[in-house]
Amino acid sequence: MVRRIALVLILALMVSAPPTSAQDRPRVGILKLTSSAPIFVGVEKGFFKEFGVEPELVYFQAAAPIATALAAGQLDVAATGLTAATYNIVLGGETLWIVADKGREWPDHRLTAIVVHKDLHDAGVRSVADLRGKRIAVTQLGSTFHYQIGNILEKEGMSLKDVSIVPLQAMPAALEALKGKQVDAVILPQPFPGRAEADGFGRIIAWGGDLFPWQIATVFYSKKFAADRPRALNFMKGYVKSSRHYHDAVLSGRAGAAYDEVVAVTARYTGAPVPIIKLGLPYQDRSARLWVEDIGRQIAWWQRHGFIKSTIPLKDIIDTSFVEAAAKALGE
Amino acid sequence: MARHPVTDRAAFLTRRQHRALRVVALAALVLVWEAIARAGWVPVLFLPSPVGVLAEAAEMLRSGELLVHLAASLSRLLLGFAIGAALGVVVGVAVGFFAVAEAVGTPVIAATFPIPKIALLPLLILWLGLGEPSKIAVIALGVFFPMAINTFTGVRQADPLLVRAAVAFGARRWSIIRKVVLPSSLPMIFAGLRLGAGTALLLLVAAEMIAVESGIGFLVLHAGNLMQTTKLMVGIVVLSLLGVASHWSLGRLERLAIPWRAA
Repeated sequence: MVRRIALVLILALMVSAPPTSAQDRPRVGILKLTSSAPIFVGVEKGFFKEFGVEPELVYFQAAAPIATALAAGQLDVAATGLTAATYNIVLGGETLWIVADKGREWPDHRLTAIVVHKDLHDAGVRSVADLRGKRIAVTQLGSTFHYQIGNILEKEGMSLKDVSIVPLQAMPAALEALKGKQVDAVILPQPFPGRAEADGFGRIIAWGGDLFPWQIATVFYSKKFAADRPRALNFMKGYVKSSRHYHDAVLSGRAGAAYDEVVAVTARYTGAPVPIIKLGLPYQDRSARLWVEDIGRQIAWWQRHGFIKSTIPLKDIIDTSFVEAAAKALGE
Repeated sequence: MARHPVTDRAAFLTRRQHRALRVVALAALVLVWEAIARAGWVPVLFLPSPVGVLAEAAEMLRSGELLVHLAASLSRLLLGFAIGAALGVVVGVAVGFFAVAEAVGTPVIAATFPIPKIALLPLLILWLGLGEPSKIAVIALGVFFPMAINTFTGVRQADPLLVRAAVAFGARRWSIIRKVVLPSSLPMIFAGLRLGAGTALLLLVAAEMIAVESGIGFLVLHAGNLMQTTKLMVGIVVLSLLGVASHWSLGRLERLAIPWRAA
């Protein structure tokens, strides 16, 4: 009797066990933001599947932990912002490779904005120069927003010392601080600036991409994933195809069925409403090629301001061979 | 007469100090940690070596960075602790002496004491702004409760025999309070100070994680955000040393204030 029950249980377990898949399932760490649109679209439309890859999307709440998870070997691929933490991970002795473009601050592409409180705007704070002496909220020190506001100020002949940077750890917290007038301005990505204006307490005074274009987000490979060249190349082919589709559907001509489809897919994956998605679709290179020299600039800036201890030779952190090989294989 | 040696069968209960062993154990732990880092069993990024941490600390001392953070944290800690302890003692004594105060005070304290003070931090920031007052207030609140409760208990516990003896010797009310009740509640007050010190340190680190520009808690969070794990470890070691220092200094203070207590 007992033996019979045991046999039934074992059979049940065997049947319920998931079938082993012949597909490659690399773990991809991303944020649930509009800027992850190319990857969502690629997964949805089977661009990765074409090359035998089925990305397993792993969602995070902030950019820096994704790089940490990649370095710890818990992810194969990361697609997120370039922060000081990323460079410190490499300086700390861990290897990760920056391999492709995943978003740039670019003129006429409204991604990140500086928002001031409405009362301050009415009182005359209308431009970056007027931010002198003000309290500006960011998420974390060392974040992409910190880099952006620092460089925007420097372009205006000011520096971080002329303002007070207030780290509040989370984007909603920064918005609330602006609403409650505990800070004078914030620098945040869509949809937060849109929300501040819609709710009436904020006024956008500048868009980051118009003032200071830079390589804000990239695709990273873990050391192990990059070493497995065929696997890594297959993923890149799927990614470049997704990037080209995103570019052609969204970035070149705005209207059309393809654009609506991208927006709809992104809305579904992020859970955000369609009008919000439409506000924050970022720019990226059609074939996801990197702006290599900008990464060198970032490293130099962080080092100058004391957030990283020494510079990193670009060849130790960037590997463009994957994206080039993929672009070539797909034909230009 | 035959001699019968007596064995102390309770000898196993006596506890030896093992002073040397304590030091050796700690040193061995640090050595093992260094060995693990050097052998590369755990990446140095995730577990910085003790030597690395010491080197980083030395660098931070030299550049003055560590002193800036330490000064900021100590000022918040001492101010918050002083305010919380003073208020706690005053309220505790009042509630201990006056029945009306007890009737009003104990339900309020009982209702507010279990609220985790970290949870109150966002509220305090809303009321007092993002600056120093909210940080000092949360530390003061954290210290206030153990102090008030311990002081109240100490006052209520004053030995009635001692009080009657003082009365018998002709002491008036204020004299009794000053010379019998308060001194006899000092042990409980110091116990409250010890509890308060631990809570203060905890709340200091939590409070320094929002909208500050310096401090040990800020250092720990900031270094974590930047993945500067060696600096993070320096911050943690400093926090540990702050805890040890506060424990030791309270011990000395207690010995000064309560000389009649057995060592």
